[in-house]
Amino acid sequence: MLRLTIKNLLDKKIRFALTTLAVVVGVAMVVGVFAMTDSLRSSFSQLAEDISEATPLTVRTSQEVGREIDRDPVPAAVDEVVRSIEGVEDTVPGVAAFNVVITDGAGEAILPTGPPTLGFSWTPLQFFITDGAVPAGSGEFAADSSTAADNDLQIGSTYVISGPIEQVEFELVGIFNFGAPDKHTTLGQTMAAFEIGVAQEFFGLEDRYSSIGVLLDPGTDTAEVQGRIQEAIGRDYEAVTDEVIEEETTDDINEVIDVFNIILLVFAFIIVFVSAFIINNTFQIVVAQRIRELGLLRAIGATGSQVRNSVIFEALLVGLFSTITGLVLGRFLAGGMRWMLNQGGFSLPTGPLELQPRTVVWAVVVGMGVTLLSSIIPARRARTISPIAAIQSDQQLAGASLRRRLVIGGVVTGIGFLLLLVGLFGSLDTSATLSLVGFGAFLVFIGMNTLAPSFARPAALLIGRPIARILGTPGQIARGNAARTPRRTASTAAALMIGLALVGMAGVVGSSLTKSFLNTLDDAVQSDYFIRSDSGGFDPSVGFSEEVAAEIEALPEFDTVVAYRFAIGSMRIEGSNHDVFTADFELVESHMDADIITGSLSDADAAFAIALHEDSAEDLGVVVGDTLDATFPDNGTDTLTVVAVYRDATIFGNWLIDNDTWERHFSRREIGFASATITGFSDDLPEAEQARLQAGAAEAIAPLGQQFPGVKMESRVEFRQSQQDQLNSFLIVITVLLGLSLVIALIGIANTLGLAIFERTREIGLIRAVGMTRWQLALTIFGEAVIVAIFGAILGLSLGVVFGVAVVIAIPDSVINAISVPYLTLLVYLVIAGFAGMLAALLPAFRAGRLNILDAISHE
Amino acid sequence: MTLLAPPIGTAPAAAGIAAAAVGVSKIYGHGDTAVHALDEIDASFQSGRFTAIMGPSGSGKSTLMHCLAGLDTVSHGSILVGDTDLSTLSERELTLLRRDRIGFVFQSFNLVPTLTAMENITLPMDLAGRTPDQAWVDEVINTVGLDDRTSHRPNELSGGQQQRVAVSRALASQPEIVFADEPTGNLDSTTGAEILEFMRRAVREMDQTIVMVTHDPNAASYADRVVFLNDGKIVDEMFEPTPDTILDTMKALGN
Ligand SMILES: Nc1ncnc2c1ncn2[C@@H]1O[C@H](COP(=O)(O)OP(=O)(O)O)[C@@H](O)[C@H]1O
Ligand SMILES: [Mg+2]
Repeated sequence: MLRLTIKNLLDKKIRFALTTLAVVVGVAMVVGVFAMTDSLRSSFSQLAEDISEATPLTVRTSQEVGREIDRDPVPAAVDEVVRSIEGVEDTVPGVAAFNVVITDGAGEAILPTGPPTLGFSWTPLQFFITDGAVPAGSGEFAADSSTAADNDLQIGSTYVISGPIEQVEFELVGIFNFGAPDKHTTLGQTMAAFEIGVAQEFFGLEDRYSSIGVLLDPGTDTAEVQGRIQEAIGRDYEAVTDEVIEEETTDDINEVIDVFNIILLVFAFIIVFVSAFIINNTFQIVVAQRIRELGLLRAIGATGSQVRNSVIFEALLVGLFSTITGLVLGRFLAGGMRWMLNQGGFSLPTGPLELQPRTVVWAVVVGMGVTLLSSIIPARRARTISPIAAIQSDQQLAGASLRRRLVIGGVVTGIGFLLLLVGLFGSLDTSATLSLVGFGAFLVFIGMNTLAPSFARPAALLIGRPIARILGTPGQIARGNAARTPRRTASTAAALMIGLALVGMAGVVGSSLTKSFLNTLDDAVQSDYFIRSDSGGFDPSVGFSEEVAAEIEALPEFDTVVAYRFAIGSMRIEGSNHDVFTADFELVESHMDADIITGSLSDADAAFAIALHEDSAEDLGVVVGDTLDATFPDNGTDTLTVVAVYRDATIFGNWLIDNDTWERHFSRREIGFASATITGFSDDLPEAEQARLQAGAAEAIAPLGQQFPGVKMESRVEFRQSQQDQLNSFLIVITVLLGLSLVIALIGIANTLGLAIFERTREIGLIRAVGMTRWQLALTIFGEAVIVAIFGAILGLSLGVVFGVAVVIAIPDSVINAISVPYLTLLVYLVIAGFAGMLAALLPAFRAGRLNILDAISHE
Repeated sequence: MTLLAPPIGTAPAAAGIAAAAVGVSKIYGHGDTAVHALDEIDASFQSGRFTAIMGPSGSGKSTLMHCLAGLDTVSHGSILVGDTDLSTLSERELTLLRRDRIGFVFQSFNLVPTLTAMENITLPMDLAGRTPDQAWVDEVINTVGLDDRTSHRPNELSGGQQQRVAVSRALASQPEIVFADEPTGNLDSTTGAEILEFMRRAVREMDQTIVMVTHDPNAASYADRVVFLNDGKIVDEMFEPTPDTILDTMKALGN
């Protein structure tokens, strides 16, 4: 008897551990994400403050349209003006550029995945030499310390650096820290610094500066000097204080951190949500199991509320324990995440990890809130237990009737879908869309969880049929077990449903994206070669030097080369800012077919022309021949003639201008992408001839690939493959992150099975006594787990396909124009879910096998 | 495990012996708190006979049955089922022995709730992957009077019907020996009598071997032979018992 009691206790300990584990992981994730991003934020804002404080005022071009990256430079003459103003002690003019790529000693381009490759003019205010000397003359450069160390760059050696215009050899003369003399801070970007004149020439910014820092005479009033400068330089330029610069820098950094923060938080909350299902389920089962004990309590005089409170009290304990453990673990997790990011190429500041009050509040809200909310329904049920339950052996807990369940579940699911659709198709702003979609999905999951028990029994019997056939008697018993507690089977499966719905949705969106891309490539792209930066990102600021295009065009094997550029929100037409694409109008029609409806690109006077998508043309009410006034980041306005209206937005988006127009208004010279045609190549040629021309082109371009290591030059076949690979690996990362919630769902399956086995102890004893082997018993438990897992997976994947198709339809055709459901992948997920279910059943199966038959038979 | 009893080895047991205990002791706990549930028991159970094990509560009846049936291990001595010495078997071999050669009826909770009566009856054979001898199964079901109930689940059956299903399961695989632990303990006397009558007919007419644990003299009187246990020892034995003779012996033991 004593042994039974101890075992009982042990069972509860494991149950307690499994239940809290689900919450702890959720709380720890939330805490970890906040702690890490808070620490990043405070480190970087400190850095931004330190740097901007060095110059109390900064003079730069005013900008109304476009991003900081496209802010127009200041003419050198402005520096002369500022310098002469009373109260200005000195000026520190500087230039900066993106896409300054250093080639290492082995001839490989140093290209971090994600972070930019930056070039600067040397400034003693931000850069601090740790080794060697300041770059002083032509042919010299300095590199930041982590880039130098990671790539083994040696002072005195010569390295090829690719700039926005051309590729040049420089000698490394110095290595520096960014931000502070003794500590280098970076998000993983590479930095090359040059003497200012050298930098201006190399970046294509002769006689211009990106911005001018202003140092003041001691004792002068900053605001006064600022006013004087502003008056002298006119409205085209502006003098701003260090606070403004600091704020902008911090905002920029925070924008990056926020994205990061939101993505991680979304995953954390998915995990919390799944945990809630598991805790709810556990409490339901526990109340059901304690029904006699609670009935006895009622019989000897406990009130319904007292019984209810005892359940809530247990939830409180679980919540409290989980919150505290989650807070502690979360702090470690934050350190772990930072460490992992630093291993992955970042050099994040390792400032102290503090738990801000906000973080603690969130931990409590998540840990206590989720547990208490999950216990409400079970606690209310416990309240309704009658004293009779103590005497009657098979009293069932009162649950919502089937009819009510169908009504409530149906209504909640319906509202969820409605919100989802409004969010997706209501053309709202991003945050409204996200919250509507998120909340809609949330309601759909809750609704499905309410509906699922009403069809869990037939579903379990159906799914169990082949399993019973394969496993024989153990399978048959497993099938019966899965079907006998439909509510429990349904809610266990629901936890798995969430993860698989998300994974399935990602699968549908990813596969549709890939299909759209391939459709466009096959139908609308005629060029034979594709030239892109090797850094892999889809970032519009990523690019390579114009020289590459010129060199390819010079090869006799190649006919024409078209360069493309891209800027976000950088063209203002009739009051709104638009993303803009560029191409060479004269040639592009033989490279890309945007399905032009009226007009033509090649016939136009390209320098003052614009082509647009039919939707945009309709919105503005313009047709070919009309004119539009467009304002660019340099504040210049051109009157552009509409020369063509096209139907396919997948290639150029909605707005296309010529490179000549770009060069008048943008200081960024590097190109984002290029396409090339092979001389004499045509699809009509015999295949052997086609192959000969392709081989010739490949051979001719190979040396250029060596010469420009950071640039990928791919044939159509290679490009197709590399883009597909890139999409796939991106999809895998997303799927793995979403799949993490499956781990929590598996804990749920293990938990439910463990409790069910405890409940069925006598049955197991009996069945073992009459001759079931341990292995057969394990098969029974595996079988039940697989049935539950497959049920959840089918629910989840079906929802995922519906969600995915809705998202694909909602995404503009310029990004995704095809729907593709990856049936094979979904089938693989289904099989994985089945195996994962077996994995979750391992521990329960092992424990069931270890039950002493005699104890089990006499178990009460 | 040491065998204190004279070694019997694996030589075939005397013909007609279905199961035997040789010098069997069972001790729970150790030191001062040790309980001698069975104390040097020697007993054999003949094939084709209906034997009852009687004794007051706590005398070791269930323990003896569990040891004989391979559900529990002995502290000393050995158990033979047919000519198999149970102490030489692994956990798995014991399970297979129970499945293929032994039948069970417990006092309560005899059936798997998710299986129908028929599925419960054929469960041991299904677990073994053996096809039941349908003619025999039908005869058992027929004799026990369950014909119209075989597709019902346990919760749709009365207590007596459930016990009949349990007895049918124990007999369906034609085991060498059937052990029943207080099979009528939870039933009213009329229903109990039916079950006992059926068990007696299974022995007489179908040549089955049954060992039944009970503390009810009335139930024991259905047996061919009664073995009396007290304090873990066999203290008496009686053939062709009647309720009265059993009661007398019990009273004598009580003194
Ligand atoms: N698992 C056990 N642990 C300790 N003592 C036990 C255990 N099982 C039985 N006993 C003791 O062994 C003795 C015989 O028990 P049992 O065979 O169940 O008696 P009966 O079935 O005749 O009532 C009793 O004293 C009982 O307390
Ligand atoms: Mg007993």
